Amino acid sequence: MNRALSTLGIVAANELSDSIRSRRVIVMLLLYLAGAMGATALFITFLHSIEGQLVTTLGLDAPKDAGSVTATLWKSKPFRDLLSHLIGEKKLAETLLDVPPLALFYGWLSCAFTPLLVMLTASARISEEIASGSIRFILFRAGRAPWLLGKFAGQAAQLFVALILSALGAWLVGWFRMSGYEGWATAYHMLWFAVKAWIFSLPFLGLALGISQLCALPNLALAFGFMALVGVSVLTGLSNWLAGDGWRRIWDLVNVITPGAHRQSLWWSDAEHLLPATVFLLTLAAVYLFAGYARFARRDL
Amino acid sequence: MSNALQFHGVVKCYGRLRALDGLDLEVPQGSIFGLVGSNGAGKTTAMAIALGLLRAGEGTIDLLGDGPFSPERHAGRVALLPQDSSFPPHARVEELLRFYGRIQGMPVAGLAPAIDELLEWVHLQDRRRSPVRSLSHGMKRRLAIAQAFLGRPELVLLDEPLNGLDPKEAARVRDLIRERRGHQAIVISSHQLTDLEALCDHVAFVEKGKRVRQDTLDKIVRRSHCVTYHLGSGTLPLARLAAELPDVTWEQHGNRVVASFPSTYTAEALNTAALRIFLETGVGILEIRRGSDLESEYMKLSAEPPPLQPPPAA
Repeated sequence: MNRALSTLGIVAANELSDSIRSRRVIVMLLLYLAGAMGATALFITFLHSIEGQLVTTLGLDAPKDAGSVTATLWKSKPFRDLLSHLIGEKKLAETLLDVPPLALFYGWLSCAFTPLLVMLTASARISEEIASGSIRFILFRAGRAPWLLGKFAGQAAQLFVALILSALGAWLVGWFRMSGYEGWATAYHMLWFAVKAWIFSLPFLGLALGISQLCALPNLALAFGFMALVGVSVLTGLSNWLAGDGWRRIWDLVNVITPGAHRQSLWWSDAEHLLPATVFLLTLAAVYLFAGYARFARRDL
Repeated sequence: MSNALQFHGVVKCYGRLRALDGLDLEVPQGSIFGLVGSNGAGKTTAMAIALGLLRAGEGTIDLLGDGPFSPERHAGRVALLPQDSSFPPHARVEELLRFYGRIQGMPVAGLAPAIDELLEWVHLQDRRRSPVRSLSHGMKRRLAIAQAFLGRPELVLLDEPLNGLDPKEAARVRDLIRERRGHQAIVISSHQLTDLEALCDHVAFVEKGKRVRQDTLDKIVRRSHCVTYHLGSGTLPLARLAAELPDVTWEQHGNRVVASFPSTYTAEALNTAALRIFLETGVGILEIRRGSDLESEYMKLSAEPPPLQPPPAA
């Protein structure tokens, strides 16, 4: 057991250092960071233009920086009541309204795009080693399961670093471009959302590495990774849409095994919602990963 | 002597192709063991099966007396130099060896001196911080050899270890493998039979997934029962040789003459008599060698039977 854990740790550290040296991974991480910063800048510009229109309509002077009107609006009772009514769940609305708008946007952005980053960076990692034969230098030194879990842990660590960097990038954009910027509160909530987005992305990482174990060609693994990403997303939407009474309850079951079904719970900040969602998402990550391992453990390499 | 590696009736099929068809092998501990066979004979498959990279369909495998390969029992005690595998291109030489050493369970304190020794061994000290992608083909091959000896495993499987090495490096690696005789069991698969002859003390011929023959090199090349003469000029005086050395059998293949003798003779006695006859009859001798050579023995064993003749028409 100790030996397996030690192998896992060594492989994870090696995976992290090896992966971030790959040109493709570096490009993807930089694109992700640039995307997060660019999207945040666009969001602020959009916010500024809405604020400008609103203020002009009201016959007031347009603000120089974005965010001041929104900050006032965000704190006004009628607006909070309206939003609570729209969301339908008063408690959730109150939770979200306690979060600065920029952090909320970052939360949405990271949950929406991190699965894509995962597929781009992780789905070829194992198949590359199978294709090049470098796995043959490893598997007489370590068991397949600890090696696989080490790969997963290394990729998860890389993802965490990417999310923290993107949060930092988005926070800096807000700091430069928004007036009345609640720096500490935004940073706190952005970090929270980065952690939540990381947990949400782990099943996708399990899926990517699960597929990677089945393919001996990196490009095929990448293609299958994309197809799986689209597949689970469609399945989430479809199962939400088709679920109902009677035999249609089966769609509720289908819904539970897709990561998207647990995304909404991550918007809450209480353990009552977060804990079950986290357990479900980690279980899904393990299920996807070990579904691939069932074949990998027995395959010729 | 106990065996470092033992195969009994091992079968491996790729679809309809039987790559190993009941292969038996016994590799004695501390020996340098040559695996000889034509392309597709099953040598690489046998090595990969021994270390659990491929799964055998049938048969039993025993590694170091501890049953079939299991990472828990064998990690750090066995190693492989695969034939067509590449290292991760971004990894640096020294850190790659450190990574391999750590996952095979080497103590951290012993890693640095072991790596230094290996890098010196394969002449890569000055490239220790270079990324693998910047190494030449021969350097990568030397690194692959180094990783196989990391931590002095009890059993090392080398698949075509000298391929791609320049003559100097090949000679150096041969010397280093020889130095390990008696300390580690080393299995070498190679088509370079002269290399195997220079290195091995045991040899197995494998064809179509089966062992055709396995024995000590001395017995295979009949060192105690045979002398090979390479002739320069003149005609072999077969009649006189037969008359003066009646128990010796003479076989001529071009300018090579193989004399096989019973145990009542010794190689020295045969040489004394035969060389005198050669000199007196004007036969030029270019080289004398004790025993036959591995290539000739392999050719004899692997020679396919002539095709069956169709029955004569009635």
